[in-house]
Amino acid sequence: METIEQVEITTREERIVSWYEGLFPAVCGYIQKRGGDFELAKELFQEALVIYYEKYVLIGFLPQKAESAYIMGIVKKLWLRDHKTQRRMEQLGTIDITELKQPSPLIHKLLHLLEASGKRCMDLLQSFYYEGLNMKDLSRKFGYGSERSATVQKYKCLEKVRDEVNQKSLSYEDFLD
Amino acid sequence: MRTSLIEIERIDRWLFNKHLPEERLLMEAELQLDEQLRLRVSQQKAAQHLVWQYGRKKLKQEIKMVEKRLFDSVQHRSFQNQIKSIFNF
Repeated sequence: METIEQVEITTREERIVSWYEGLFPAVCGYIQKRGGDFELAKELFQEALVIYYEKYVLIGFLPQKAESAYIMGIVKKLWLRDHKTQRRMEQLGTIDITELKQPSPLIHKLLHLLEASGKRCMDLLQSFYYEGLNMKDLSRKFGYGSERSATVQKYKCLEKVRDEVNQKSLSYEDFLD
Repeated sequence: MRTSLIEIERIDRWLFNKHLPEERLLMEAELQLDEQLRLRVSQQKAAQHLVWQYGRKKLKQEIKMVEKRLFDSVQHRSFQNQIKSIFNF
């Protein structure tokens, strides 16, 4: 099992670099042996990193197996998903690869609108909810004098996004397939 | 903090299960009775969904940017050669 020290790399970008340098050659070898090309290896690795990040890094879950084995497991499962070999899939049963659905046209449109009208707000909100920054780091990153100011701004930004949803007469159900 | 922001903070705690047990009972009762509150909760959930999608989009961009750098810069030549030898290009 990995220790906290082993995974304490300062930035997300540095983690991505270390995943590429440490794992991408093995992923390429796996894909190449099965007849896949470089483009497919890149595509599956990118998807695997997003899945790993959302399912394991963000919630602070340290896998029993080494991080590399987990990411490799996700890549294998994605490959098998695309090649419909269900029996082999079951052998990798414990690794969850709930697919990353493409955002609907409605979400695309709203994201575009929100980026155009309030990119700073969206950046602040995603830093907290998606990158998992604490309020101390968030206030430093966005230049607020205190954690309290950053907290108030976070809720103002959330209100702004919610108002946009309200103006379009939408609710959460409209985002579900 | 103004009233509307206090409510947003409260809904945020509710959506992320960070509320106190007594808050939960009160919120459940209010949600039963107040249709407008139900709507605001649903809209806030939708807003959170949009933020998540935005975060995912940024992460994908960051991954592609790192990838491009690893394959374009002279500094990572041995990594590039390693990959090239696998695919013979």
